[in-house]
Amino acid sequence: MAVCVAVIAKENYPLYIRSIPTENELKFHYTVHTSLDVVDEKISAMGKALVDQRELYLGLLYPTEDYKVYGYVTNSKVKFVMVVDSSNTALRDNEIRSMFRKLHNSYTDVMCNPFYNPGDPIQSRAFDNMVMSMMVQVC
Amino acid sequence: MRSSRTAEPEAVAGRGRIDLCSKAHARKRASFLSRSPLIMSIPDYMQCAEDHQTVLVVVQPVGMVSDENFFRIYKRISTVSQINVRDSQRVLYIRYRHHYSPENNEWGDFQTHRKVVGLIAITDCGSAKDWPQTFEKFHLQKEIYGSTLYDSRLFVFGLQGDIADQPRTDVAFYPSYDECDTVEKRVEDFIDSLFIVLESKRLDRATDKSGDKIPLLCITFEKKDFVGLDTDSRHYKKRCQGRMRKHVGDLCLQAGMLQDSLVHYHMSVELLRSVNDFLWLGAALEGLCSASVIYHYPGGTGSKPGTRRTPGASLPTETGKRHRPGAQEVLIDPDVCASNSIISHRYLGALSTNGINADTSAEIGRAKNCLSPEDIIEKYKEAISYYGKYKNAGVIELEACVKAVRVLAIQKRSMEASEFLQNAVYINLRQLSEEEKIQRYSILSELYELIGFHRKSAFFKRVAAMQCVAPSIAEPGWRACYKLLLETLPGYSLSLDPKDFSKGTHKGWAAVQMRLLHELVYASRRMGNPALSVRHLSFLLQTMLDFLSDQEKKDVTQSLESYTSKCPGTMEVITLPDGLVLPPVPFTKLPIVRSVKLLNLPVSLRPQKVKSLLGQNMSTKSPFIYSPIIAHNRGEEKNKKIDFQWVQGDVCEVQLMVYNPMPFELRVENMGLLTSGVDFESLPAALSLPAESGLYPVTLVGVPRTTGQIAINGYHTSVFGVSSDCLLENLPGLKSNCSTVEVIPALPRLQISTSLPRSAHTLQPSSGDEVSTNVSVQLYNGETQQLIIKLENIGKEPLEKLEVTAKTISTKEKLYGDFLSWDLEETLSQLPLKPGMIATFTVNIKVKLDFSCQENLLQDLNDDGISVSGLPFSSPFRQVVKPRVESKPFNAAESSKGGDFSHVKILEAILSFKYSGGPGHSEGYYRNLSLGLHVEVEPSVFFTRVSTLPATSTRQCHLLLDVFNSTEHELTVSAKNNEDLVLHAGECQRMAIRVDKFNFEDFPELTGESLQFANQKQLEEERQQAKGFEINSKLDIHWKIPSLKREGKASVEGVLNQLVLEHLQLAPLQWDVLVDGKPCDCDVIADCKVGDPIQLEVRLTNRSKHLVGPFALTVIPYQDFQNGVHNYELHDIITFVGSNTFYIDHVKPTENSACFGALLFLYTGDFYLNIKFHDDNSSRELPLSWFCLPSVHIRAIDPALQTQF
Repeated sequence: MAVCVAVIAKENYPLYIRSIPTENELKFHYTVHTSLDVVDEKISAMGKALVDQRELYLGLLYPTEDYKVYGYVTNSKVKFVMVVDSSNTALRDNEIRSMFRKLHNSYTDVMCNPFYNPGDPIQSRAFDNMVMSMMVQVC
Repeated sequence: MRSSRTAEPEAVAGRGRIDLCSKAHARKRASFLSRSPLIMSIPDYMQCAEDHQTVLVVVQPVGMVSDENFFRIYKRISTVSQINVRDSQRVLYIRYRHHYSPENNEWGDFQTHRKVVGLIAITDCGSAKDWPQTFEKFHLQKEIYGSTLYDSRLFVFGLQGDIADQPRTDVAFYPSYDECDTVEKRVEDFIDSLFIVLESKRLDRATDKSGDKIPLLCITFEKKDFVGLDTDSRHYKKRCQGRMRKHVGDLCLQAGMLQDSLVHYHMSVELLRSVNDFLWLGAALEGLCSASVIYHYPGGTGSKPGTRRTPGASLPTETGKRHRPGAQEVLIDPDVCASNSIISHRYLGALSTNGINADTSAEIGRAKNCLSPEDIIEKYKEAISYYGKYKNAGVIELEACVKAVRVLAIQKRSMEASEFLQNAVYINLRQLSEEEKIQRYSILSELYELIGFHRKSAFFKRVAAMQCVAPSIAEPGWRACYKLLLETLPGYSLSLDPKDFSKGTHKGWAAVQMRLLHELVYASRRMGNPALSVRHLSFLLQTMLDFLSDQEKKDVTQSLESYTSKCPGTMEVITLPDGLVLPPVPFTKLPIVRSVKLLNLPVSLRPQKVKSLLGQNMSTKSPFIYSPIIAHNRGEEKNKKIDFQWVQGDVCEVQLMVYNPMPFELRVENMGLLTSGVDFESLPAALSLPAESGLYPVTLVGVPRTTGQIAINGYHTSVFGVSSDCLLENLPGLKSNCSTVEVIPALPRLQISTSLPRSAHTLQPSSGDEVSTNVSVQLYNGETQQLIIKLENIGKEPLEKLEVTAKTISTKEKLYGDFLSWDLEETLSQLPLKPGMIATFTVNIKVKLDFSCQENLLQDLNDDGISVSGLPFSSPFRQVVKPRVESKPFNAAESSKGGDFSHVKILEAILSFKYSGGPGHSEGYYRNLSLGLHVEVEPSVFFTRVSTLPATSTRQCHLLLDVFNSTEHELTVSAKNNEDLVLHAGECQRMAIRVDKFNFEDFPELTGESLQFANQKQLEEERQQAKGFEINSKLDIHWKIPSLKREGKASVEGVLNQLVLEHLQLAPLQWDVLVDGKPCDCDVIADCKVGDPIQLEVRLTNRSKHLVGPFALTVIPYQDFQNGVHNYELHDIITFVGSNTFYIDHVKPTENSACFGALLFLYTGDFYLNIKFHDDNSSRELPLSWFCLPSVHIRAIDPALQTQF
């Protein structure tokens, strides 16, 4: 269902990006990169809210002709961006949320690895498998 | 119509659609309006809400007017952008265009600010005869916008004379472009005239009676749709009313009556909504929004807010007040008054249903009529959704979106603004020309920038850049593309200064940054600026190295090499025409340098400071021996400075540890040092680093040409044709330790060559001495060899001073005599040694070692010993000395012969040459060159045993030496007064040498000072050594190997023991016996006559340091029968005159005493006198050998016989 999943560091550089049509990966790079404008905007709007009440899920960042871009930001300002095929109308907001939650859990596992340096590109196989499962899953 | 989307292939990611309404479907429904020849197709992306209140004036040249002159005048005209209309406080705003599509003018009724109401033509007219023609042209120009023009003016430049003198309202004459002071005034007058027309139109429309037939305003493309419609229907009337109301609203807004326009717009909205006239409803809503925006944001929403601001009009309340008098003015006019009431009436009627308070009070109405900021956006959204229903209104929709975005940007509502923008992206006008596409993407980029979406902005700018060079364009604008790409850099958080990347790890979206850099490279190359593309490619390689895959690294370097083959990369700053500065990109990662270490000179070239007497202690310049502060300072200094020096003119080295991060062999050329402080001639190196090499040491060399402090700042390289200057301070991960070293003045350089072969032996470096050259030689013990050393000055400074010292490496072997000796004077006389000259220096190597300590040999020879001790007090101890030439092959030793020859002993020494000269000498520096000397000493001959035999004289004795030839050659041994003794290999023979006894007391005593320090044992040893030396030199034993033609000296020193020495020593008490006044010793026979008493004198000379005596001596005569029988019964034959016993009292040192007696021989015969000591208990401590008195041989003969002979 997802066609592209990206994890972006606090400093707005990619820690992880994977897309399904690998032949045009750069396109997704641009999609995700430009979506950061919206993420920044949403975060700065949220900044006033209390930290513990903050909603991590940012919702739809912007729709493009073919895709919908969803965002999620952790408390440490690591961003998750998911690009979903816009033809997939069956996808509900709740499902997107649960996917992000799964992603966040898996990311937490990666961070728990004592051999992983925060800020390095993610190379965990477990994380990779989880992302692949999210992308392959056909709704 | 959606099919044309593909025209924007690059914009995919940015393209989106806000769901303002289900527009796509609506538009399909509306597409029945498809064919139309006059669609407004050129959007004005610069439009903003305030433009609704302006009147449009087109300024155009007529005939041939140069651009320069035209724009000069255009600029001056443009300054008249707002006019306070005479005697009112209303303000008229004017928008000037020098180019305006007549198609767009068709929309003038739809939104009056799109209508060209004024035309100012500018023309050149040189002579009067051209004038009619020019004027005709002006008329033709007017025709274009004829339907909408209120008024027009022609500014004629250059014409003088009759025509010019006629005063005309529509034409102004100016002699030249420089003399036209009144242009502004004329424009103001012109605007005034426009205002009058505008005002009259407004009043005209506003006063339309409700009963009158209101014409239907429509846009060209709508016309045919209304054909055949029932013009009398209520629906149609309402539509006409609504449109007219909207039109009046537009006019009011333009005429500076904001409040009135609001009222009209509100009414229009109501009317049009009821008849579903969506296009005009949208326009009415947009008008409402525009008016509200003007009210809320007097500062303007456009990009040039400054030009719109009027003094005293910055606050909304003031704006309101400013408008009120205008309204009142209208009210005063009776017609207007009537119309106004009607308006109010209708307005009330219309709005009451909408729940708006019917109060006519302007104050309240203003507040009510004006939209709140939130409402503005809502209404914009609505308006845009209505526009969206009409394909032909694409430009209107697009412009509305742009206007709304500008408003939102001011409201800082970026999210909503982005929605509007996405909608704008999606609006498709028609097949756009490439240029229009570029303009469109650029403006989208600008708008995104405006709302703070930098990445999106960059994205569109990049799309625009790509559009500049789209394959469909015949002449790709690479220059424009490049310029646009550069503008995207901040959006991708990329700077072109490599320094920004050296701090810490790379931050940013590498994938997109790399793409952009690739595009920059390509664009700059196509632009025909290879230097630029090399710079960008270098930057890409340097900063993105970590992100490039192996294949990409290869590709990038290959293209870089191909670029640099045409234009090598430099370290110069490239400044672009628009002022952008591209700093140089040093390849600090190709190769990566991990450490930089300055190397000391090789030991032989290392300069050393002559220690001055004051030097050491004075250097700190402090009265304290220790102070923590000074110590601290020193420590810091040490960190920065290096404790060795470099020498001017000598090659100095710096070692770098580098590695190659590339997956292929890296060729680094022209790698050299960057220094400061001293003229430094860098000698560049070229290296080739294997792929992904580990740390690899590279030594960079150079020659300092002047003296002083030299700082190593960095290094330069040339990789892939790009020269880089890498400064150490900019290198990440480099331990920046000291890089400053002192360069001292030039010194000469010595090179040594010797007569001896070089040796592979390396001396054990003791005490840090390092030896540059080693020579070795094999010598037989006792041999002397000359070593000729050639000293060549290979430097550039004269050698002025030379000192030679030798140091024997401590060995267990006991060395006799000087191992090395030389005469420096001869060499020194050759100084100063000019560069290239050679001086010779001769060293004598003399080896004298003791090989005799082989126990087994001594044991073997011990048994046949002739005891040296002899009988005490047996004087004379007479023994016939036969030099026993015994041939005694060493059978026992034969077996251990192999072992013997392995007893090669090694002597090693270091010769140090301290030399100096040139300027370095005056600075007090010198150099030290060491020559290692390795000598293998083989045993030649040695003495297995030594013993003495007393000679007949007390002053002499025989030394018996067992000489052993340990060589494999036959050799001859000769002492000073003996004949040669031939010894075969391994043979041992005894030789006897008669020697005079030595008077060791003559040796100078050691000085008191050294006596104090040396202990007794050492003293004794030294004394013994000195004695040995003395003996040796007396003996002067030589050996010679005829087959090898080698010869040397044999030394007995090692074998001499205390006992032998004692025997060789002359006793300190010297006894002389004089018979008849003649000294009598050894074989001297004293003759005397029978019957005559002969005098006997015993003289004692004390050469010892002590007082000796008293002694008692008894003279006992005897006869030797030569058969071992001594006859002592001689009382009848010899008689003593006086006592036969002498008493000698104390004899002081260096004194002597004598005793006299006399003997009377009664018979002839040979007699001997034995002089005996009486055992006095006084002087027992004196050694026996001291009392060795010569035996006296007297022959008494018959005086008659004697006389007979």
